[in-house]
Amino acid sequence: MDLTETPDEQAFRAEARAWLEANVPAEPLPSFDTAEGFELHRQWEAKLYEGRWSAVSWPAEYGGRDADYLKWLIFEEEYWRSGAPGRVSQNGIFLLGPTIIEVGTPEQKARFLPAMARSDEIWAQAWSEPDAGSDMASIRSKGTLSADGSEWILNGQKIWASRAAWADWCFGIFRTDPESSRHKGLTFILMPLDTPGITVRPIAQLDGDTGFAEIFFDDVRVPVENTLGGVGNGWSVAMATAGFERGVSLRSPARFNVAVERLIKLWIRIGDPDDDTMRDAVTDLWMQAEGYRLHTYMTVTKLLEGGHVGSESSLNKIFWSEMDVRAHELALQLLGPDAERMDGAHQRWVDGFLFSLSGPIYAGTNEIQRNIIADRVLNLPRG
Amino acid sequence: MKFSFNHDQQQFAAGLREMLEREFTAAHLRGVWESGTGHDPAVWARLADMGVLSMMLPESDGGMGGDFVDTVLLVEELGRAAVPGPVFETMTVGALALRGTTWASGVADGSVAVTAALMGERYVPHTDVAALVLLADHQSVRALETAQLQTESVEGIDHGRRLATLSGTDSGGHFLAVDLNEVIDAGALASAAYLLGLSSRMLAIAGDYARDRRQFGQPIGSFQAVKHLMADALLKVEFARPAVYRAAWSHATGADTRSRDVSMAKALASEAAQKAARSALQVHGAIGYTWECDLQLFMKKAWALMPAWGNASLHRRRVSDAVLGQR
Repeated sequence: MDLTETPDEQAFRAEARAWLEANVPAEPLPSFDTAEGFELHRQWEAKLYEGRWSAVSWPAEYGGRDADYLKWLIFEEEYWRSGAPGRVSQNGIFLLGPTIIEVGTPEQKARFLPAMARSDEIWAQAWSEPDAGSDMASIRSKGTLSADGSEWILNGQKIWASRAAWADWCFGIFRTDPESSRHKGLTFILMPLDTPGITVRPIAQLDGDTGFAEIFFDDVRVPVENTLGGVGNGWSVAMATAGFERGVSLRSPARFNVAVERLIKLWIRIGDPDDDTMRDAVTDLWMQAEGYRLHTYMTVTKLLEGGHVGSESSLNKIFWSEMDVRAHELALQLLGPDAERMDGAHQRWVDGFLFSLSGPIYAGTNEIQRNIIADRVLNLPRG
Repeated sequence: MKFSFNHDQQQFAAGLREMLEREFTAAHLRGVWESGTGHDPAVWARLADMGVLSMMLPESDGGMGGDFVDTVLLVEELGRAAVPGPVFETMTVGALALRGTTWASGVADGSVAVTAALMGERYVPHTDVAALVLLADHQSVRALETAQLQTESVEGIDHGRRLATLSGTDSGGHFLAVDLNEVIDAGALASAAYLLGLSSRMLAIAGDYARDRRQFGQPIGSFQAVKHLMADALLKVEFARPAVYRAAWSHATGADTRSRDVSMAKALASEAAQKAARSALQVHGAIGYTWECDLQLFMKKAWALMPAWGNASLHRRRVSDAVLGQR
């Protein structure tokens, strides 16, 4: 055990910090769930790419830095500490990208990864369907091979597709074997959102912005070359992606450490010093954020030493999402009457509160995560 | 940056776990309870032989020369087995306070057990087992021989941790050249590590029961109400774990944040143990509420150690002072 940074890690941190200090926009960008904000975030991503900071954990040949997980965590700490914008590229760089690196063909890697790293192509995810939410294996959107076998013909409907309102491409799973059921006979397919036959209908979220959308597929033709990980393997490819999302990459600890530091500043500025209940609650949040950071460092060390992260990654997802809600609830409590305002100096806390409420729902509800933990970590019998 | 234990540390902990699974089962623990001694000389001798008791003593005192990072997994294993008597007190608090003294070799060979009451405790545990009790005297630590003191037993909830009130402690004994706060932190951290092991054990017992017990024609562990109860308890335990391990690092390296980190560990481990005990009992239903059910042996240890060395509330306040500034 050595909880100090090596000279190499310190140098990497210093390099990231210096670049971010010189380049992070002075003013916060508008939400990336608006047309204008989306493009401004794309420009920011392009700038990150120029500094070779957009996908630090990717191989250098695709625009990354071959950074190991520890360095990735260090970068994340510096990124969120610097006040840099949220990552509109999340679905691609942190979810699909690692999956393509793992299971993609050489042609797919060359075609998709560099454009993803540059954010020339921003990705939406299309997994859920109206009748396949928590029960994702009941997917019904179909993929049928064309007569000459060169194209998939897609039909059906996806919903809650995050970033789909403005994104360029999407990835999703489709039932390509009509005789199959549940986890079998599904295939992971990539396609541009402007393919003929695709209709995107944005859905206004709780915060009024359009971060997600419905996607309708009406005889959408996609080359079979856009199959990721082989026909019929869609479920395991999607689970690899989802596992990575829950495990490490979706919400790195730094953003919570930074949010809790803001909460502490708010408490010091406007909190009632005699309110011990609030003081204890703020301290609990600090311990949770710190605990999550330490837990992640333990997980990452395990990965670097050749270990694997399995279903226990579901613990992370519950932990950070509940913590995020709690931090924002406390901030609003501190803000008192200002917590009711959607404009003004504290807008970020109110926006953040609304956003935090999606955490226990997306990427598999926390109830589904509890089932996974019970079944696969605690080895309780399947229901 | 490397947040893991080395091969030797892991192997030593695994060896201790195997030994305890073989030689100190719940039936043995129940035997100690029924003996009324709060102590098991046979397992104590084994721990001395293995070098567990002397891990934190310098080699010049006949010890293994380890630090808290070398020790924390061992304490966790002792907690998993709920080993009775002043075991973590002796091997951490005792070893730290008595290094270089004439008692040190006795700690190493198992002949001197040590208990402590450094935080103004009304009831002192293990005085009829320990040869020495460590007391706080202003900012110093004083060692007194228990044989010289008047003790009056009180009945505790955990029969592996007998309690007494002490009198005749105002004078005498030997002042030790140690920092009181460092020794208190060692006790708080060791109790946190012990609670971590204890919590994992309670969840394991509950898991076994949930797989075995059938109602409505199926194992109760297949019901979501039971699954979620246990998943939430596991969540508490698994997020206390890195806090305990980090505190061991901070103690071993004398970090500026040592007291804050130890307090975070004890606060989270105490709350995790509370949740694990409560959930394990609820999973068992009525059978868990019986004297015969072994779960009680572990729950009662948890209930005794959650407040020992400062409860979650006290330690949370210590973290508050460090993070938010003194009140």
